[in-house]
Amino acid sequence: MSQTNTHKAASWQEALISSIEVGVVVLNKDFVVEEWNQFMENHTSISTDAIKDKSLFEQVREINANWFMNKCQPVFELQIPVFIIWEQRQYLFKMHSARPISSPSEYMYQNVTIFPIINPANQQVEKACMLVYDVTDEATSKLRIEGLNDKLEVISRVDGLTGLYNRRYWQERFELEYKLIFRTNKALSVIILDIDHFKKVNDTYGHQAGDSVIKEVAKIITKSTRETDIAGRYGGEEFVAILPDTSSDNAKIVADRIRTTTEAACILHDGLEIKVTVSIGIAQFSVDYLTAMQWLEAADSALYKAKQSGRNLTMVASTKV
Amino acid sequence: MASSLPDSWAIDISFAANGLEAIEAIKAGKGDVVFLDLNMPEMDGYETMAYIKKHDLPAVVIVVSGDVQEEARQRIKKMGAIDFIRKPIDNEKLSEILVKYGIYDGNTDSSNRANEQNKSFGDSLEDKLDAFRELSNVAMGQAGERLARVLDKFVELPIPNVTLIQANELAMTLASIDERQNVSAISKGFIGKHLRGEALIVFNEANVATLNELMGRQTDNDQPSDLEVLMDVSNLIIGACLNGLSSQLSTQITHCSPMVLGTNSTLNDIVEKNISRWEQVLVIEIAYSISHEDIHFELLLVIPSTEIDVTFRQLLFTKGVVK
Repeated sequence: MSQTNTHKAASWQEALISSIEVGVVVLNKDFVVEEWNQFMENHTSISTDAIKDKSLFEQVREINANWFMNKCQPVFELQIPVFIIWEQRQYLFKMHSARPISSPSEYMYQNVTIFPIINPANQQVEKACMLVYDVTDEATSKLRIEGLNDKLEVISRVDGLTGLYNRRYWQERFELEYKLIFRTNKALSVIILDIDHFKKVNDTYGHQAGDSVIKEVAKIITKSTRETDIAGRYGGEEFVAILPDTSSDNAKIVADRIRTTTEAACILHDGLEIKVTVSIGIAQFSVDYLTAMQWLEAADSALYKAKQSGRNLTMVASTKV
Repeated sequence: MASSLPDSWAIDISFAANGLEAIEAIKAGKGDVVFLDLNMPEMDGYETMAYIKKHDLPAVVIVVSGDVQEEARQRIKKMGAIDFIRKPIDNEKLSEILVKYGIYDGNTDSSNRANEQNKSFGDSLEDKLDAFRELSNVAMGQAGERLARVLDKFVELPIPNVTLIQANELAMTLASIDERQNVSAISKGFIGKHLRGEALIVFNEANVATLNELMGRQTDNDQPSDLEVLMDVSNLIIGACLNGLSSQLSTQITHCSPMVLGTNSTLNDIVEKNISRWEQVLVIEIAYSISHEDIHFELLLVIPSTEIDVTFRQLLFTKGVVK
């Protein structure tokens, strides 16, 4: 097939169109194919002889005729070139990608340009030329980078052990919530939680058992809070959560649920049953807190009180109203 | 405009930068015949026409505008303008109109006035920016007309805002885009011997559904994707605008394949991720809007400052100022 075409090439221009690594198709106003170069022939397995002087849509089933005729309207009526890019649809012509094994995509990604061919005699558009570019490598690397960026974003936000937000990201969100709450006038509470006598767990059962306990408590926090709550691991055995639309009274209900669930839980590690309790401090937002940190410190003081009062307790910071 | 008026027409010509100045001039008896632009700062063509009509000022008004939408023509004629000439001005059309309304029917040659006018073509940066403003005014009018036809809506055309900035200040120039709103942006490079740059279209994400609907009414296809609609509008607007520039400059421009700079993110995010060079650029900002539908989107033509002179020289060449 390619042999015959090369032989048929009467001029160097024809040889060029035939051998160029870009699909070249010329259509008349009725979408009848007038030119179909070797790239098109080889990639679609539709021979030039088979498609020439026939309707494009008859031979190329994957193109929706109405859609495509609409696309070409500016070309024929307004002499404006039209572009179809891989981001809007992967391909116009369903072609296998050029490298069957090492290409990450089975089908080719294409950028297509359709431009008017103007008859110099009457300045009318009588034909359109369509160029089909293979942009598979460009597109797949861009998609890969976007995917990696998304993953990186998740990794940089999440604590590896518990899957909760890490301290850096949680603090960012906390500062943001603090700024936003001034506009909304809604109730907003923060809780801070610490595992009681955690050092003893580590010393008695080892660090791996300690990690299991941390994971289990994190799970309990996740289950006890709503999707809109923002929970994070603040330090070794310390956790925090922002509870939107929640007064300190309601936050106490959530906190006590976490506390009693933890108390009741049997944490299994290497055949051993480990029991732990947690102490929790709560502070509802008030305009008296001049910084986000002051607000968090209020919750931390309540936590300290809970520890002082015998642990396995929830304490609410008294607001200075 | 003045350079198209016949040489042997014995008239005094006064210039007004906006509607207010025009009205002052008419009141002072300096405007028997008024050539009125629709896109002007302070007081636009419609407002000026309304004032002239309301106060019955003694002036014959012929509108000269880059806004070539049929509705613009109808609107202003209804308000009392006797006729409408599109920019760039076709001298034959102009004389036809002058004869038709019995304003002037002598020799139509205007080469002396044209030469006179061209001699006064300045070389300062302000003159150059003015030249770009006028170039894009005509091009954006053609693009707006195409879009109006496809959407079957009247598209409001502002005055192109032309500024010289650092590329990283781009986000700040987008007047109609709120920094908290989510936007999508598409970019297309264009290059020719006398004009080189990048065209950016920024869509307000909230408008996409409406645009989709407007375009959808035209075609009875299955619901197109959001990006598909943005591409259709971009193809049309950028394509028509570049065609307008290329014909005014008598130069061929290659349109490069467009690229999606970002969808559904903030403008700052898009600028941060995509602007990788910091050179000084000439920015032509055109804020299109369809107010009935609350649709706003911006077309930016960004031209490296080093290219300004190349284009300016070609413009002077096409006007016959330099050979």
